[in-house]
Amino acid sequence: MILMTNHLVFEVGTALIIVAGAALLAGRLKFSIIPFLILLGMVVGPHAPHFGIIDLRFIESSEIIEFFGRVGVLFLLFYLGLEFSVGKLIRSGRSIVVGGTIYVALNFVLGFIYGWSVGFPIMETFIIAGLLSVSSSAIVAKVLVDLKRTANSETELILGIILFDDIFLAIFLSIMSGLLLGGSTTILGTITSVLISLGYMILFFIIARKGAPLLNKLLNIKSNEIFILVIFASLFFVAGFSEKLHVAEAIGALLLGLVFSETEHRERIEHLVIPFRDFFGAIFFFSFGLSIDPFSLGGAVWLALGAVILTIISNFVAGMISGRKAGLSHKASSNIGLTIVSRGEFSIIVANLGLAGGLMPILKPFTAVYVLILAILGPLLTKESKNIYQVMNRIFRWENKRKPKKHEAEGRS
Amino acid sequence: MNIREIELPGIGKKYEIITKSTDKVVIIIHDDGRRDIYYFDQEDYEEAIASTTFDDTESRQIAAIIGGMTYAPKALETIEMAFDDLVIEWSKVEPGALAVNQTIGNLNIRQSYEVNIVAIIKRNQKKIHTPGPETLLEVGDTVIVSGQRHQVKTIVKEILSRRDG
Repeated sequence: MILMTNHLVFEVGTALIIVAGAALLAGRLKFSIIPFLILLGMVVGPHAPHFGIIDLRFIESSEIIEFFGRVGVLFLLFYLGLEFSVGKLIRSGRSIVVGGTIYVALNFVLGFIYGWSVGFPIMETFIIAGLLSVSSSAIVAKVLVDLKRTANSETELILGIILFDDIFLAIFLSIMSGLLLGGSTTILGTITSVLISLGYMILFFIIARKGAPLLNKLLNIKSNEIFILVIFASLFFVAGFSEKLHVAEAIGALLLGLVFSETEHRERIEHLVIPFRDFFGAIFFFSFGLSIDPFSLGGAVWLALGAVILTIISNFVAGMISGRKAGLSHKASSNIGLTIVSRGEFSIIVANLGLAGGLMPILKPFTAVYVLILAILGPLLTKESKNIYQVMNRIFRWENKRKPKKHEAEGRS
Repeated sequence: MNIREIELPGIGKKYEIITKSTDKVVIIIHDDGRRDIYYFDQEDYEEAIASTTFDDTESRQIAAIIGGMTYAPKALETIEMAFDDLVIEWSKVEPGALAVNQTIGNLNIRQSYEVNIVAIIKRNQKKIHTPGPETLLEVGDTVIVSGQRHQVKTIVKEILSRRDG
């Protein structure tokens, strides 16, 4: 027994070395860490060879790595809830609501049509439509900062649309977990479980609105040690309890984050959670990769490629419409779609919900290929947005009148 | 000048500034304390032509410099606090001024101008409160004078400023 425990720490340590190596490499290449973690996770695993004492199959530790990954999802969504605030959304204004609606609607509808037309059953189609619609907040925020785009006029709209997209994700996950995890076979039963999860969500909204003064008092804890224990206890308990009600545990974490975001302790909790989110979040991507047999990808590649092309087109079109509606130039508008096209953590979480609900296992390799491509291609499209715009402008001639004038003026001066 | 404050969820806050000369400057305050400053040409508000990043300490120091906390521009050096006609004025002893290397008593300030020297800030930042008649005035000293507006103006002009100016 003692010997096994020793192995466990060593295996987890080996896994963390891989994770840290991926992070270093991603940092060096100025790339998002997400695709590296998934790829490395896929390369190792049960089919990997093992050299002497280094065992890359992670057989004993697979359970604990998976559990860490699950914890990563809790932290990712808890943080999303903390960051999120209805007030922020209201303040951000009309163009964001319009843009966000266009974005989610276009992606979801096209995703649904795609899933349906390639022959998936209805539930799988819903999951595919959902995972195609949720942009990766993590990658987008990182790319905007890295490429020094934060000052651009379209950036506010991009982040607003992402915020809107996150609400969509929350509602979508609640409804889907009611549908999939309720385990009901009758229509009435299904409706009941959807209503339960929606009611559960509304309950948290009410607590967030009305309970803030009480929570402020309860959380007024000086000692950091006690504070972290109270916060983590409530996080894990609420998430686990949600699972009992057939509401995905991720949603429980998100809703609790939402409640805490209304308290005056929001910033303190955020600071506390960020390192845990980063650590367990990284293991989440690695563990997702680990759970995928690279030889199973074959059947899903073409499906995923189709979805990638669809996503790029619908993101570009939705960005163009939202940007123009918000009064931005064609060039700034084209940046929107080319930035929010990145896919990552949330698409995987949506797919995992479907898998937990017993849907077709092909969802997993499909999502893996889809996320891998868009987590790599997305930031590249963002980086090259200027050139892409110029090519598109030559085709559509959006701004052919103003350009030559400006060149003339430059020539003269 | 036109300043717009915009929330950037997940990143921080953005301040978009259009100056009188129609330059566009954008300041991003990241949640982690970093500040980015972007400069846009008047011709094109869409693409920044220059940018730089400061950490929290640097930005505070730079803010103090820009805000004039350590050094106020010459043209604005006279900060006036007016109570009706009674004013307090900060003024530097300029090189070549009448007051250079003279004592307050020698210059007979109180009698000739009916003003008081409330304090002197020496060049090395040493402060002298209610200086006596034996106090020496040197180039670069900041003299804080209180009195009637026109008399304060006169003393600044006649004995603290450069004579040829």
